[in-house]
Amino acid sequence: MTEPAVLAFDVREVSYRYNQVEALNSLSMHVKRGERVALLGANGSGKSTLLRLLAGLCFPEHGEISFLGESLTERRLQDEQFFFSFRRRVGLVFQNADVQLFSPSVFDELAFGPLQLRWPAPKIRERVDEVLRAMDIAHLQDRAPHRLSGGEKKRVALASVLVLDPEVLLLDEPSGALDPSSQARIVDFLVSCGNGSKTVITSTHDMDTLEDIADRCYVFANGRVAGEGAPLDILHNVELLERAKLIHPHAHAHARGNGAVQPHPHVHRHEGG
Amino acid sequence: MHIPDGYLSPSTCAGLAAAAAPFWYVALKRVKSVLHARLIPLISLFAAFSFVIMMFNLPLPGGTTGHGVGMGVASIVLGPWASILAISIALTIQAVFFGDGGITALGANCFNMAIVGSLVGYATYRLVAWRSGLRSARRVVAAGLAGYTAINVAALCAAIEFGIQPLLFHDASGTPLYAPYALRIAIPAMMLGHLTLAGLAELVISSGMVAYLQRTDPGLLRHTAPDAPPSIEPAQPAREAQDALRLPTARKLWLALAALLIFTPLGILAVGSAWGEWSAQDFSSPQARREIAAASHNQAPPSAAPRGLERLSSIWSAPLSRYAPSFIRSASFGYLVSAMVGVGLIIALALLLNWLLAGRPMVHAAAGGRRRRSFVEKTARGLLEATEQVLFAEDMAATSGFLQCLDPRVKLIGIGALIAAAVAVHRLWVLAAILALGVLLALVSHIPIRLLTARVWLAVLAFTGAIALPAIFLTPGAAVYRLPLLEWPVTQQGLRTAGFLILRAETAATLSMLLILSTLWTRLLRALRYFGAPVVVVAILGMTYRYMFLFLATACDMFESRESRIVGVLDPADRRRLAAASAGVLLGKTLQVSGEVHMAMQARGFRGEVRLLDELQMRPHDWLRLAAFVGAATLAVWLGR
Repeated sequence: MTEPAVLAFDVREVSYRYNQVEALNSLSMHVKRGERVALLGANGSGKSTLLRLLAGLCFPEHGEISFLGESLTERRLQDEQFFFSFRRRVGLVFQNADVQLFSPSVFDELAFGPLQLRWPAPKIRERVDEVLRAMDIAHLQDRAPHRLSGGEKKRVALASVLVLDPEVLLLDEPSGALDPSSQARIVDFLVSCGNGSKTVITSTHDMDTLEDIADRCYVFANGRVAGEGAPLDILHNVELLERAKLIHPHAHAHARGNGAVQPHPHVHRHEGG
Repeated sequence: MHIPDGYLSPSTCAGLAAAAAPFWYVALKRVKSVLHARLIPLISLFAAFSFVIMMFNLPLPGGTTGHGVGMGVASIVLGPWASILAISIALTIQAVFFGDGGITALGANCFNMAIVGSLVGYATYRLVAWRSGLRSARRVVAAGLAGYTAINVAALCAAIEFGIQPLLFHDASGTPLYAPYALRIAIPAMMLGHLTLAGLAELVISSGMVAYLQRTDPGLLRHTAPDAPPSIEPAQPAREAQDALRLPTARKLWLALAALLIFTPLGILAVGSAWGEWSAQDFSSPQARREIAAASHNQAPPSAAPRGLERLSSIWSAPLSRYAPSFIRSASFGYLVSAMVGVGLIIALALLLNWLLAGRPMVHAAAGGRRRRSFVEKTARGLLEATEQVLFAEDMAATSGFLQCLDPRVKLIGIGALIAAAVAVHRLWVLAAILALGVLLALVSHIPIRLLTARVWLAVLAFTGAIALPAIFLTPGAAVYRLPLLEWPVTQQGLRTAGFLILRAETAATLSMLLILSTLWTRLLRALRYFGAPVVVVAILGMTYRYMFLFLATACDMFESRESRIVGVLDPADRRRLAAASAGVLLGKTLQVSGEVHMAMQARGFRGEVRLLDELQMRPHDWLRLAAFVGAATLAVWLGR
């Protein structure tokens, strides 16, 4: 029984269909406790679906998912005690911040989770203030969500999950469609999670920051795992990345020795460093 | 159709709110028991959607446009009970933020549109669709009819509410204190606009969106179609539904409508917008103003109906008297003919003015002359203006004037009491005093008077003034003046009733504007919570407001991008299809976002029971101010008995 407890998530041969379309096809993967894992894949490769399954928001048609050795099923989550303890320990930050920010103000947004988990009011206020300051959004606390910029929305969405201090953080493209400085803030945060206290699963197709935010990566293609390994190994596996539609062949022609290309700055490193 | 403040007596408003209460109660109970925690975000987002849909300009036959309410679609997708909640919430936000419908009349508006509309729409849909398949064309027709019937029955309710006012509420001199027109005027005047324009708009939106759902997500129609045969075969019949809107069914639908129009003798009466439904923006354009004037004058002919014929036939036969056949005074035929002629004259006049002012717009569209604004452009602009209006109110509320610094509960109760007083008093000078108090409050709260003038006073004057004007001549009583040539008598009672209607509407609109310009929405929600509004309702209101912005922005982007791609002039059928498709896309987005919002709520521990953090303390000086407000309102009611 010691072995499963080391695994935060164990996903075994899971299939899931969304409106008749296959999203996950007999997919298996696992995440250890305290590990930072990145899910790489093109749009529609099943990353978001997997994150929702891991968060217990949808349930697989076939196969099994277990969380800390305990099977994660719809039935199990009906149990109030398990529901609250699971929600407390696993937080999901959605890709679209607009769906996550549904409360009238930033303060209410942060208070939503703790309120649902029935924390006492003084503790909620204290914790919300703490997170507001930590995430540098205290000045936004009375702001309505439609008055936030894209980067602010992402930070508030992240804060609304962090307020519960979850052990496991599921992040769906946290730095997508952000300006460089907002992106850097999010990445800095993810880097700071690297001390092993939190399990972080990040879906992304941004390969520049991969080695900073992950200890291990899965590459997804067509609802299956196409490859797995350390960030650097994955980044060097051009064939795999092309197969997963993460890079486009002609954009990287020079990487295979075509010297006719003009020298230009590289957005990401191909050579280990 | 959105009844403003001051048109209905306080007892009517209270009665209708009381009548609505059990429906709300049952609806809340059912929503709670069905739970379906998914319903809370779904209702909120649907309310936001319905709100945005009410701002769409739907192109109708004859080159005009109309607005839908969306109760047909809501009752088909959500079922009647959840639809009651969604439409009520949408109406509340409209009344509070846009002054569309009064605060005291909110109960009445909810009763007519949300409750009667939803139930009638749902019943019609179930009855007509019967056991047809989820993707059958019959469901599209059923939806269209459901929307059409729902809005018309709702309009009939409103007309009856208007019509009983002069009967029940008048002072010693016989001056009607509220809506001045009796049933025989109110019913035809309301119904003509709704049987034609507003009904059509609702029909277009309901049938168009059900057709869209059949194509994209027929599962959503399952909820209200328990008898439909299970559909196993996907994909292929979807085309059928898509075509249904265009070919035989569409033709049948239009034929049925044409029949309705023929049976509605004065179908051509409506010139532009539905009677009683002009938006504030309409009043800034001379074109719309003319249309309203036209429509209001037209409203005189129906008054001639059965008994009041003598006096009115003299009005209409005046310009015709030399040519009038002898039977024109005798029968309803005379009424019809004179009304038709009157309508024809007004349409001709409107066209003439349009031609004079706009400089032959339709012919020279391409030659760089003044282009008629397309419905796409109009809608985009309307959506943008609505967003700006609310954002402006938020900015205003964040400043530090007198009202802004008051506790939201004091404001809610205090201003509410003043509005109730304005609706209740029976003396013009007391009404004027309350209005003056409103102006004073605006001054000490640094709310620009220019803003009130433009957005409230002139708009209300144009709208209510147009409705009150005929009452000056039509109210029976002592004549104080006769118009030269026409010999129409201006009665003392007529002047007074017009005065009441206008002053009441102005005062109530001013006060509710003050409330929204000085209170942040989040604080208002907390105040509501403090007064014991159900948590579910407060949560839904909050979420509706929040997603209203998202959908306004989405719809605006959609229309702007459409506008940039449209070359040349679309034919009317294409325009209708475009409008219905846009609404459909927005509906698709609504449903998708609502599903995801629900997941996001679940992910943070939501199990269907909403919890809020209440934190407002009433301090002694808050109680003092509250007492001052309530005291002023009580004094006004006592003085204005």
